[in-house]
Order: sequence, then structure tokens, then C-alpha cells
Amino acid sequence: MEKVIGLITCNYSAKESSALTENRPVASLPYFGRYRLVDFALSNLVNCGIRTVGMVLPYNYRSIIDHVGSGKDWDLDRKNGGLFILPGSAFGTSRTGARFLLRDLVHNKAYFTRSTSDAVIFSTANFVYNVDLNQVYDAHKASGADITVLTKTAAEKDPDVTAFDVVDGRVQGVHHGTAFGETMFLDCFVINRQLLLDMFDWYAPTDYLDLFEAMAGDFGRVNVRAFDFDGYVAPIFNKRAYYRANMDLLDPRTTAELFTAERSIKTKTHDTPPAKFEVGSRVCNSAVASGDRIYGSVSDSILSRNVIVEAGATVRNSILMQGCVVKSGARVENAIVDRANVVPAGTELRGTPEDILVKEKAHE
Amino acid sequence: MSKKECIAMLLAGGQGSRLGALTSNVAKPAVSFGGKFRIIDFALSNCANSGITTVGVLTQYRPYLLHSYIGTGEAWNLDERGGGVSILPPFATQTGGAWYEGTADAVTQNIGYIEQNDPEYVLILSGDQLYRMDYDDMLECHKKNNADLTIAVMPVAWEEASRFGILTAEPDGRITKFTEKPKKPDSNLASMGIYIFNADLLIETLKEDALDQTSDHDFGGNIIPKLLEDGKRLYTYEFNGFWRDVGTISSYHETSMDLLGPNPEFDIFSTTFPIMSNASTRPPAFVGKDGNIDDCLVANGCQVYGTAKHSILSTDAYVGERATVVDSVLLPGAVVKDGAQVVRAILGENSVVEENVSVGSVDTTKDTAVIGNDVVVGKGEN
Repeated sequence: MEKVIGLITCNYSAKESSALTENRPVASLPYFGRYRLVDFALSNLVNCGIRTVGMVLPYNYRSIIDHVGSGKDWDLDRKNGGLFILPGSAFGTSRTGARFLLRDLVHNKAYFTRSTSDAVIFSTANFVYNVDLNQVYDAHKASGADITVLTKTAAEKDPDVTAFDVVDGRVQGVHHGTAFGETMFLDCFVINRQLLLDMFDWYAPTDYLDLFEAMAGDFGRVNVRAFDFDGYVAPIFNKRAYYRANMDLLDPRTTAELFTAERSIKTKTHDTPPAKFEVGSRVCNSAVASGDRIYGSVSDSILSRNVIVEAGATVRNSILMQGCVVKSGARVENAIVDRANVVPAGTELRGTPEDILVKEKAHE
Repeated sequence: MSKKECIAMLLAGGQGSRLGALTSNVAKPAVSFGGKFRIIDFALSNCANSGITTVGVLTQYRPYLLHSYIGTGEAWNLDERGGGVSILPPFATQTGGAWYEGTADAVTQNIGYIEQNDPEYVLILSGDQLYRMDYDDMLECHKKNNADLTIAVMPVAWEEASRFGILTAEPDGRITKFTEKPKKPDSNLASMGIYIFNADLLIETLKEDALDQTSDHDFGGNIIPKLLEDGKRLYTYEFNGFWRDVGTISSYHETSMDLLGPNPEFDIFSTTFPIMSNASTRPPAFVGKDGNIDDCLVANGCQVYGTAKHSILSTDAYVGERATVVDSVLLPGAVVKDGAQVVRAILGENSVVEENVSVGSVDTTKDTAVIGNDVVVGKGEN
């Protein structure tokens, strides 16, 4: 897709603050043992052939830059195009609900004006799904729409997801929060580049709004059409959703759908050896990343890279992030243990299925 | 180590015919090992970890997978301007072209590459050995001895010495004698096939050897004896760690099993001298509800619903429900379907053992079973 460029807004955080997102943007939240949430947005864009991607970053961008680097793991280390790191507005993270804050786009106008592309595909980094954006773009061209938004029928209430009022495939209105059966916005859309530049002028006085909020009165003249996606989708705006979206992947069918060979989810690669299941270990219904060493017992859990579970230790219904050590005899249950934590011998970290305990990142 | 002080010539053209089905469609250095690595990772990682950033990789036999795997060398931090990895297959000139005949001949044909880089020293390596070595330390030793050629050696058991090229040396390390597979060895220092030459001497000697019609153009057989005869300063560099040449099916199997158990001699978990690889990005391994894994290395992308004991499951390997894998190596993408039994076997890349089929035998007097890459084993075929 030579004629399309991408843009990912990484500077909108979860509304509900938790220890997980205190020191990192949602975009760099670790996911399923070895990924970060932004991998899905990046991979979706790259997998359809896009080789120019801008990332609008928040002030606390260290972990994102650490992860994406030059973009080489996504084939974005290009001589022409490639990865563009773009500054985000300082207000971005605190303005909840916004996904594509106009000010962030206008401030980076040069990224769009210097391009010769026909269209731009936008995405946030709060969603987990694997979509073929070629199909979306083809539909966009075929319908002659000004904007094509990626949507899915909501299976439940979610106050953080944007909803569209759609009639005959055309968007008539927008509001925050979805109810069952409504059309939820997957925070991904195609827009003709020239229209985007025109909109910067139209909506200049209201640059504190989200692009779609600014557009709210214009759905009559701007032809916004919905493209329905029928695959696995997980919006991640709070701790509960984050926990569940991880645990969903203990169903191999979901994992197979998300991590396909034809559209692989790319991430930063590390030189960690295979996981070692030591003599006497007991692991069931769990995902175990490379570099792990398991001597104890692990069930219904997700273990990131370089985790050690010592003999006699038990991990259940939990997510252990990179570099955690569960010492001999310790128990971890219904918990999310952020990176580099050592759970001392004989101690417990225990939440409940209703209220997952979060252990914040240890000082390294 | 300055950039062009020393360059490496990595011999990776060997067929590895004794690895049988494992090298039927890939070169030996490209054979998968240890769950997520390929054999050449060890030499390339050693180069990177030793600060050698100019590496010529001499390829010849079935090179496609090897070439695409090495790529730009980026996976080993060897994508450098004015250096990095260069893949050196046989090529033609105005006077014709020829295959690489022997280890020395392969380097002779690439003297131009050495001259282009103009190093002081040339490190000659094999792409088919498993070990961790700091070549910088070996180079320091070479310089300290004011040597013309330094040969890495390791002590082997006396009763096995007759299987190796044996070097006899003075107490200070100066080599006095080299004997290929001696019947009555007078030393137990075996050559590891790792050499550091002074570049000028190497080029001069190779050019002379090329003109010698009687020579086999082999480092061990011709070059080293010639230099000894000429009274050059040949020194040993003694190495005392884990080193394996996985030349045969049984040594491949045995060396794989050496990575298992508590505290294996070769620590693939070392972070100070990591083994780097050009691994594909796959999700973490998944162990199903009835999965049962004991003493195994399990790479990303694996799915285990049955039982795996004392085995290596490489990237994307699959063990179905009620299936059993014991004392075996599943290479990347190998599939053991529901109810199948795999014992003391090596399953090639993307091979399939069909449901309820049995492969291999617990009888250790029998050879390790080998299923070739992409082979499907159905009922009654094994």
C-alpha cells in the first residue's frame, strides 16, 4: 500500500488509573507474555503493506521508544518513509475519551502535508485485534466514502469505548460508551488525506476536541461509513479488561486467530533461550514465554519472559510480567505482578477473581 | 579489538552428510538446535560477543535457508557499515569458476575478500560447532606469543584422542607436532578447527598451497603441517569449556540431551555471553489442561496437550492430546498428533507423526530414530 500512510496515537491512557499504567502509557502495557499493546496497531498497519507510520507519543514515552526503537522489528527502518516519532499534546493523557485529539494531529501537520499518499489509516493502541486492513481500504475505495471506520457490534456495556449511530452502513452520530448491541468503534479508520488536511482548517477553532467529536454535526456532508469486523476484539481501558484479554488467550482458538502466520503480530525480539520446564515442575493451562524457568506449579496463568518459579511455589490465575521471581513456597493467586518483582519465600500475593490484585513494578 | 584488526572467515559450506535426513534440504550450519537456535548461531554469537564485526560466511551446500537466516546479520548485531556479515558463495572469474574443494581452498578462493578488508589477523571458524568462546582472548594469546598461527585446542580423553587431530606442544604452548588421528597419541590436545593466522602469512601460504597439485587444500591435512615444516611459530590456545561437533545423528541427539537436567554444563541462559539468533516472533508456549511437561526446553509457539519428558520442543512444535514425547528432539514446526508415541527420536522441521503412530524405541542399542524435514509418518510406515 504505497499510497497509504499510518498514524497511531499512543498518548491516551486508561481513564481508571491503576498501578499498571502509572508509569507507562497503555501503548506499552505488556501483553500475553511477550507483546506490548501497541504491537497490534503497528502490525496491523505493517501487515497490509504500509511502510510509513507516525506515532504520536505521550510525555512518558521512554518505554515506547525502548520497545519500537528504529522500528526494525516491524520493517519500519526504511530509507524512505518508515517510523516517525511525533510529539503529542501535553493535555492528551488527561483528556479522557479522546482518541484522535485534533490538536495532536494539527501540531504534526507536516507529517501529513509532506506525504504524497492518497489516504491515512489511523489507530490507537488500546485495542487487541488482528485485522486485514487491505479489506478495509478496498471497501473504503469501493464505497467512495470520505472516511471508513472499523466497527463491531458490542457484546456488552463498556463506558470507555466510543459508539457510532449507524444507519444503512453510514455513521449518523457518535457518543461515548457502548451498550449491548450498539456499534462500537475499534479506534481505527481510513481517511482521504486531502480531506484530513481540509478538516484541520474547518475545525481549527475546536482543536481541543477529538476528531469525531468535532465532526459530530457534519455527518450529513462527510460520508463516514462503517466496516464491520467479525474477529476477536478486546478493548483495554481498565484493569479488568486487561486481565481478561490476557486470559482469553488461554483458549488456543483465540490465540490461533490472533497470531496467524499470514498476518503475524510483530514485536521487539530478544535473545532469550527457550523456557525450561525443570524436573518436578507442574504446568497446566498456561502460557510460558522464553527464558522462563519453572520448578514449581503453574496453572491458568501467563508468564512473561525470564520469570522464575521456584520449587514449591504456586502460581494460579495470574499474570507475571518480565523478570519476576516467585520464591520457594510462595503463592501467587488472582494477581497481576508487574515486572521484576520478587515474591519472597513462603509469602502470598492473593487477589480474588472479582478483584484482581496488582503488584506494581519493582524498582530495578 | 579494533574493527579491522581481525576478521573471521566462517566455513559454512559443509553438507553434514552424516546428519542424514536432517541435512537433506538444508546445510549443516542451518540445522536447528536447542529449541530456538540454528547451529551457526553459536559461531556468529561468539564473533559478536568477541567484538569481531567483519565476518565472511563461506557457503556452498543448499544455501537458501542459511542465506535467508543470516540475512543482514542484524540478529547478531553484525549489520555494520564497512563490515558486518558477508555471504561468500563460490563465484566465477574471467578464467572460470570452481566449487570449494576443501577448507583451505574455500578461503583461498576468497583471498580477495581478506585483502579488501586488509586485517592483521584472520580467524578461521567452522559454522557447525557448539561452544562459547571469547576469540578476543585467543587473539591476545596469539599476540603475546608473537605467533604466526594459533590453534584452539581442548584436552580430550586419552582413549578418544585417536579420533582427533592431535597437537603436541611444549609447556609454553609452542606446537612441535601435529598428527591427524594418531594410532598412538603422545598428547591429548585435540584441534578444535579454530585458527588465528597472521593475515599476510595466511595469504602467502594459501597461494602456495593452491599451486600444489598433490595437496587436498585442507587446513588440518596440508596447511598446518606445511607451516610446522617451515619452522613457523605455531601455538596452542587451550579451551576447557563445553565444545561439541554435532557431526552425527547420535552426537546431535546426545548433545541436545546435554542441555537438559539440572545445571547442564552448557548454560544457554547465560546473559553475559548470550547466544543470539534470528528467531521468528511467535507467542509464548501454551500448555493445555492435561499437558504434562517434565525436564524439557520449550520454545515459543509450542502447544503441548499431552506429555513431554526429557525432550526439546522447538519453535511451533505441537504435542497432541494423549501423545507422549520422551528423550526426543522436535525441530521447529514438528507435529505429534493425538495419541502418538515418540521415544528417542529426532523429528525434522514441519514433520508430522500421525495419530496413534509410534516412532522410536526405548532400546538404547538401537539407533536414534530420525524423521526428515517435512516428512509425514502415517500408520504402518514406521
